[in-house]
Amino acid sequence: MDNRSEIRKITMAEFFSAVVHMKTEGWRLAQICANSVPQGYEMSYSFCKGYQMVTLRLEVGPDEEVASITQIYPCAFLQENEAKELFGVQITKIQPDYRDKLYRIEESTPFRKKE
Amino acid sequence: MSTRSIVPFGPQHPVLPEPVHLDLVLEDEMVVDAVPSIGYIHRGLEKLVDKRDFKQYVYIAERVCGICSCGHGLGYCQAVEQVMGIEVPDRARYLRTIWMEMSRVHSHLLWLGLLADAMGFESLFMESWRLREKILDLFDETTGGRIIHSVNQVGGVQKDMDQGMLDDILRVTRDLEKDMKPVIDTFLQDYTVQSRLKGVGVLSKEDAIGLGAVGPMLRASGVSYDARLLGYAAYGELSVEPVLSTEGDSYGRCAVRLQEILQSFALIREAIGKIPAGPVSAPVKGNPDGEYFFRIEQPRGEAIYYVKCNGTKNLERFRLRTPTTSNIPPMVQLLKGSQLADVPLLILTIDPCVSCTER
Amino acid sequence: MDKTRMFTFAGRVLKNLFHKPATVQYPFQPANYPERMRGHVVIRIEDCISCGLCMRACPSGAIAVDRQAGTWKIARFDCVQCGSCVLACPKKCLHMEKGYTAPDIQKKTETFTKPAAQAAPAAGGGKPAADADKCVYCTLCAKKCPQQAITVDRAAKIWKLDAEKCVGCGICAGACPKKAIEMK
Repeated sequence: MDNRSEIRKITMAEFFSAVVHMKTEGWRLAQICANSVPQGYEMSYSFCKGYQMVTLRLEVGPDEEVASITQIYPCAFLQENEAKELFGVQITKIQPDYRDKLYRIEESTPFRKKE
Repeated sequence: MSTRSIVPFGPQHPVLPEPVHLDLVLEDEMVVDAVPSIGYIHRGLEKLVDKRDFKQYVYIAERVCGICSCGHGLGYCQAVEQVMGIEVPDRARYLRTIWMEMSRVHSHLLWLGLLADAMGFESLFMESWRLREKILDLFDETTGGRIIHSVNQVGGVQKDMDQGMLDDILRVTRDLEKDMKPVIDTFLQDYTVQSRLKGVGVLSKEDAIGLGAVGPMLRASGVSYDARLLGYAAYGELSVEPVLSTEGDSYGRCAVRLQEILQSFALIREAIGKIPAGPVSAPVKGNPDGEYFFRIEQPRGEAIYYVKCNGTKNLERFRLRTPTTSNIPPMVQLLKGSQLADVPLLILTIDPCVSCTER
Repeated sequence: MDKTRMFTFAGRVLKNLFHKPATVQYPFQPANYPERMRGHVVIRIEDCISCGLCMRACPSGAIAVDRQAGTWKIARFDCVQCGSCVLACPKKCLHMEKGYTAPDIQKKTETFTKPAAQAAPAAGGGKPAADADKCVYCTLCAKKCPQQAITVDRAAKIWKLDAEKCVGCGICAGACPKKAIEMK
């Protein structure tokens, strides 16, 4: 068992079915990470099963909408709200949606710009 | 149908050490729904990688949280070392393991004290914290800091331990193990404690996996997963066995943490017996380039450190997914259907650390 | 493990009644600090060469170094006692001392000024220059440089200094096995 981290690139069309596939195979949602890149955002969804870890990498355009995965993994709500509030990723239908009030910050999308 | 009322709970509450707010939807005395909200101590520390170079950032990663500081420093350093392909000297790996296990003991003792306090068992709370103080003194002696150790650096550790210090650790852990006996008996056998913990907040195995629980929370529900088995630091050469419980209730979570303290003592002894001589840090050349997800087992559960580097001295992105972020959704699940009087206790059994969660 | 008992903690409670307290009367009875404790930063200012490496290493920006005035300032209340400056100091004139900074009613900055007689110390003045006749292009100086300001190419026999990056600490001169580097 080693600490390997596999990153699989997926497209927006495959995204939802890939997450559903993970759920049916019994993978545990490990983390969601957003990052801003020149062409928009990069979302990483990591899943663990036993000691294995797989990360799905999704590239999102600056104004492109991403569907929330809270319908499949309800525990994703905190991290999706965080990505939406700090980076401004357009994630729709998060259950529950904190409407950018999760961290109670004044500035909007403070993590979006690189310094 | 009885009337429903909404009770705000926290962020300031006599038995709750962490600033987390909950809106509890009550039906008489029973909680039917709970909406957690955080955001009282968000500092944006992940963003600071833009302004501090990757070697300096170790000190900031350590200061994300007081109790988990040793692990945060270790996880961050290991992730960067993976990207740069640095081979950490053997002695440094063992020293990291010893410090990490000591921090697990002190974190669990802190939690036991808080649990006793939440039950109103004041003398047990004081006893747990009295024992914890001995571990903190050891940290002060070996690293220079009681809580924030600042010993990890990219490439190894800053300070070595001499034989006298290793002997002190052995002596104190032996004494502590003896002193722990009555505390463990009280937590597991006392009538008062059992009536507060047994059967309260049961999390099934399926829910634990489905809601993404980690650490003692996951293991108390009977899932055998301990990130230490991934073999980072020196864990690959030590005998680590996940501590399990099948009950999935608060009592099970308490029992798992008590057993883990004893397991940590054994691991510390094993590591001190096997520690090789040699240098404690490897030279670091150039800047990191690449990305990596690194998992370690913190006292509170599995934490994930993601670093993305672009070949400059500043990282492009650092993300820390702390155990509490993963444990809040299962906590909400536990609260549904519980009694209002058990709410503080249930929040405590996940060992929340909101400071880590918000960063 | 699972049996239920009453008064499990009574023995310990009774023992505590007749024991001396686990705590000490702190301000009246001084605390014992171990040797390694990181309490506060002290400086031997006469050895300082104002290179500014500590200022750049400080994660909280508590240190300010002024080359011209020869001062070294520390905002005690911004300092987080991490020891990063101590590791960075090329002259080892910084040190973590045990014992905490005393509490105060306002945030203060402490200033240390270099003695006037040492205004232009031998090692701290100017930038290094390599003597091309003596230099064997061993790259030791480049490896030791804390700022990575020196590039040495053994094949092309080039020794180059990035004057922007160089802080004039003199480590390269000390490391040179052929004594080919001089601080000018």
